[in-house]
Amino acid sequence: MVKHVDRFIGAVVLLARIGAGLGFAVLMGAVLVQVIGRLSGTSPVWTEELTRYALLYMVAFGAGAALRSGDLVNVDVISESLPAPLPWLLRLLAALATAGLAIFLLSHAWRYVSIGKMQTSPALGIRMDYVHFTVWLMLVGLAVFALLRVIGMLSGTEDGKPHRPEEE
Amino acid sequence: MDVAILFSVFVAGLALGIPVAITLGLSSLAYLLFAGMPPVVMPQKMYAGMDVFVLLSIPGFILAGNLMNQGGITHRIIRFANALVGWIRGGLGLTNISASMLFGGITGTAVADAASLGGVLIPGMKKAGYPADFSAAVTAASSTVGPIIPPSVPMIIVGALSGISVGKMFLAGAIPGILMGVAMMVTCYIISVRRGYPHQPWQGWGEVARSFGGAIWAIAMTFLIIYGLLSGYATPTETAVVASVYAFIVGAFIYRELPIRKVPGIVADSAVSAAGILALVGFANVFGWILVSERIPQAIADSVLSLTDNKFLVILLINILLLFVGMFMETIAALIILFVPLLSLSNAVGIDPLHFATFAVLNLMIGLTTPPVGVCLFVCANIARLPLAPVVRAILPFLLTNILVLLAVSFFPPLATWLPSVLTN
Repeated sequence: MVKHVDRFIGAVVLLARIGAGLGFAVLMGAVLVQVIGRLSGTSPVWTEELTRYALLYMVAFGAGAALRSGDLVNVDVISESLPAPLPWLLRLLAALATAGLAIFLLSHAWRYVSIGKMQTSPALGIRMDYVHFTVWLMLVGLAVFALLRVIGMLSGTEDGKPHRPEEE
Repeated sequence: MDVAILFSVFVAGLALGIPVAITLGLSSLAYLLFAGMPPVVMPQKMYAGMDVFVLLSIPGFILAGNLMNQGGITHRIIRFANALVGWIRGGLGLTNISASMLFGGITGTAVADAASLGGVLIPGMKKAGYPADFSAAVTAASSTVGPIIPPSVPMIIVGALSGISVGKMFLAGAIPGILMGVAMMVTCYIISVRRGYPHQPWQGWGEVARSFGGAIWAIAMTFLIIYGLLSGYATPTETAVVASVYAFIVGAFIYRELPIRKVPGIVADSAVSAAGILALVGFANVFGWILVSERIPQAIADSVLSLTDNKFLVILLINILLLFVGMFMETIAALIILFVPLLSLSNAVGIDPLHFATFAVLNLMIGLTTPPVGVCLFVCANIARLPLAPVVRAILPFLLTNILVLLAVSFFPPLATWLPSVLTN
């Protein structure tokens, strides 16, 4: 059971990192096209928009993984200096609070996504709900990684502390 | 009442160890629910906070720093710094500080600087006979110049919040960053002479030239970034991406220490780090929007101005507030929450926004080395395998030095504004 939980968590982490990395790669590619275009005097108009949307997808995939790696910034000096088992309980509470916030906001974020159906982006001409979707996806990522932390803590596969990628 | 809910949830969340980004989200949501406002405002404001053109440059600068870091730059910079100043009394301490100044021109984040240089220099200093607490303290203190010398992630965020040109912000940090480094080197030298710390023999100009030849490609990246921004030919995002490509070429083909197979992992790590910062910016934008709609910046400005409208006193009060907040709150979160309210106050007494932004960032960087929430302090104490208390004691002279530089930059605006005005006109 523990092995399966661990493997599942590993697969979700990998998916998030691949998604964030691809978003970043698209961002880099669009900017390089922009730079080369400017040097050759034929700069396309769509690159700035694509760069912004690629960044939003990078955040959508990466925010959950950032929660796992501690990149959402943990100020845990007080909570970690308390006697056991309080630090463990507070880490569990933090994960539950994160999941609770993200899950509560999902339906509202979906409403925001729907508003985008009525708009299209000026240069690329894509429907803005595909772009607004990044906020919903980011919240899904936060909810999934927070719940995985809760499952991991309760099943004993992790202690709820941030995991750096090299430790994965 | 609604504002009281906002701040109560925020403080409780931080005290319970909930990540800052989530705490900002929870407190904003609590406010919206109590104020009877629709929660759909939250995703809308989060999106607006993240979809800001200037923020696009953050992942690029993080990637450029990570590629350089993995590409063999650390030991080359240390070797060059050591050839330059290692022969002076307390030489390895001075090497540590000057390497931080050179490294700061590449990474733009203090924690990367503390971890990379500390990993090599703290064990090296201990082995050479320096006390562990001094070794950790000098590494932590000097790492704060990283986000002041360009490029700088906090300065990009300031640019996004205020509309100040990122290029001007970067330039405004150059003189204060160098001043801070030089002042810490003087402090380190005085301590080393008084305690009789060791020094190495002079290795000759040949070694200086050879080590410079090794480090030049990395040092050149700082100038590439500044040129890209100043020439007006490239946006900050384009400069950051070109810097990443440059860092890849240097690491993989010139230094030949960056294995190509490691690059996808470095890109993913950089993307996740940047995603964390941007998610924080998104949640903080909701919080900031609430502060503005409740007219908190105006209330802060009015209450301070009712006490005094003396520019120098206001600068002093802002600095005291930021130093206090920086002790307890993470730098970027503090910047996002406090920058706009305090900018209104500084505008009201006629402080140049560029000057204000520079001393605010400088101030909050000092917070990275103050207990109880100084991240660089923890990183260095951890590398030195020491508890926090001796490192806190050892860092006090450097902390005092940095505060003196902060006061100089705060009360003598040309230190921040002269270089941008000369180079951008």
